Amino acid sequence: MNEDAFSSFHPAVSLLYFTFSIGFTVFLTHPICLGISLLCAFIYSVRIKGKRAVRFNMLYMLPTFAFSALLNPAFNHQGATILAYLPSGNPLTLESILYGLAASAMLVASISWFSCFNAVMTSDKFVYLFGRIIPSLSLVLAMALRFAPLFTQQIKVISYAQKCVGRNGSNENFLRKMMRGVKILSIMTTWALENAIETADSMKCRGYGLPGRTAFSVYRFQRRDAWALALILAFASIAIAGSAIGASRFRYFPTVKGEWTGINAIIAFAAYIGLCSFPILVNIKEDIVWKRIKLNA
Amino acid sequence: MAKYRPLLVAFIIASVLAVAYYYGGNFSKGGYAAQPQAPASVDAVAQAPSSEKPQIAEASPIDPEAGKDAHFTGPAPSDSLMPADQNAAYSGSEFSVSLSVRCDAILGNMNLLDDDKKELVPADGTIFPASTVEAYVGESVFNVLQREMKRARIHLEFMNTPIYNSAYIEGINNIYEYDAGELSGWMYKVNGRFPNYGCSRHLLQPGDAIEWIYTCDLGRDVGADEFSGGQKDE
Repeated sequence: MNEDAFSSFHPAVSLLYFTFSIGFTVFLTHPICLGISLLCAFIYSVRIKGKRAVRFNMLYMLPTFAFSALLNPAFNHQGATILAYLPSGNPLTLESILYGLAASAMLVASISWFSCFNAVMTSDKFVYLFGRIIPSLSLVLAMALRFAPLFTQQIKVISYAQKCVGRNGSNENFLRKMMRGVKILSIMTTWALENAIETADSMKCRGYGLPGRTAFSVYRFQRRDAWALALILAFASIAIAGSAIGASRFRYFPTVKGEWTGINAIIAFAAYIGLCSFPILVNIKEDIVWKRIKLNA
Repeated sequence: MAKYRPLLVAFIIASVLAVAYYYGGNFSKGGYAAQPQAPASVDAVAQAPSSEKPQIAEASPIDPEAGKDAHFTGPAPSDSLMPADQNAAYSGSEFSVSLSVRCDAILGNMNLLDDDKKELVPADGTIFPASTVEAYVGESVFNVLQREMKRARIHLEFMNTPIYNSAYIEGINNIYEYDAGELSGWMYKVNGRFPNYGCSRHLLQPGDAIEWIYTCDLGRDVGADEFSGGQKDE
């Protein structure tokens, strides 16, 4: 059930999709666009990662949202609607509060999109896409992206091993705990250096960098990839056109102003909904097909 | 410990926000934020003779080697008022000065102005018409501007710069510095002269005429040539 159908598309389709979704999230500042993007990113991240994503969003994204939304009016005093005066003597304006909300929605939405991007664009897809064009960079990227998860995992392994040999430390004082942490870090550093040499040796043994080597990949550009690509491009070009003619433009200072109901704006928003909810729609369609096959069998 | 972690995080966030709101981007609060106290009694005002010159706080001494005072301000012309410390104390007695805020220079440079800001510029360039307002002994140009803008519900944003020990006016009526080209911003004039120090260091005397003027060319278009070496822009 948690299998994500969008991940099975060709890597080029996924990459293009995330370029558009993250790019539009940053550039389209209309509140409706930000709302669409935030909602779709949230739903899609829950679809990919299940309960973990809900927990992450509630525990980290909600405080981040509140914090950055509240921080903006403390430093930004632009805007024509003065609500009150801050202790420093500068005004607190309605526009700066609204802009703070919009900016933090943008921040949270792009973090959510990036978490989806990480889950869908695995390093093998990345190397497949860029292995030919920029071989060394894509290798470095793949290794760098692997770095953090690998190290967290290894730290866990080391701390379990330390517990097994009796350095358990659940009722130690702060200083002893710190010293134990430093010890784990020291073991970790030794392991990392050794691991780097092993990786290099292993790559050399397998002939990395020799001419004429090919990489195995299971990705083929099928007809459904072409369809997905066409749909994504169509939605994106309508959204770009809407933004170019100013239908989805929104200004926050000195007073908030923007189009909400014009026909152009509605078309642009509809295309944007189509773009942002594309992976969700793909998943729904896949679920329906799966259910029908099951019933027929 | 793990049980209290959410509480701890919430506390840290709340305290960061509180500090941010209290300072609002200013490092030093100084005395400029304090509003003058109303005279303690009617007698105090009655006792102060109207002809008495207000007590001016001592000017900051100029270091002869650097040619500047402790707040990096050069010497003022000998016949004008010396810059004072902005944290000077107020006394209660009241006198009147005149104040105006104008942005005529933008009218000739509308093409430089951001489209969203065009509606903010009044047709005659007057944001606050010349009028007589009250001031208290020991108050600076900044204090009067801040009070009158608050009273007239006109937007005003300033920043306190500790190194110059002075407030800097970033924007009035949402017209900010750099809004009409990169040489634009707010300047002030007292009795027809542009002081070479911050507005919160200029103490007022009865009858002073304060003018706040928006420049689009570093002061050259409003008659303050001395800040750009007197050279006209080509």
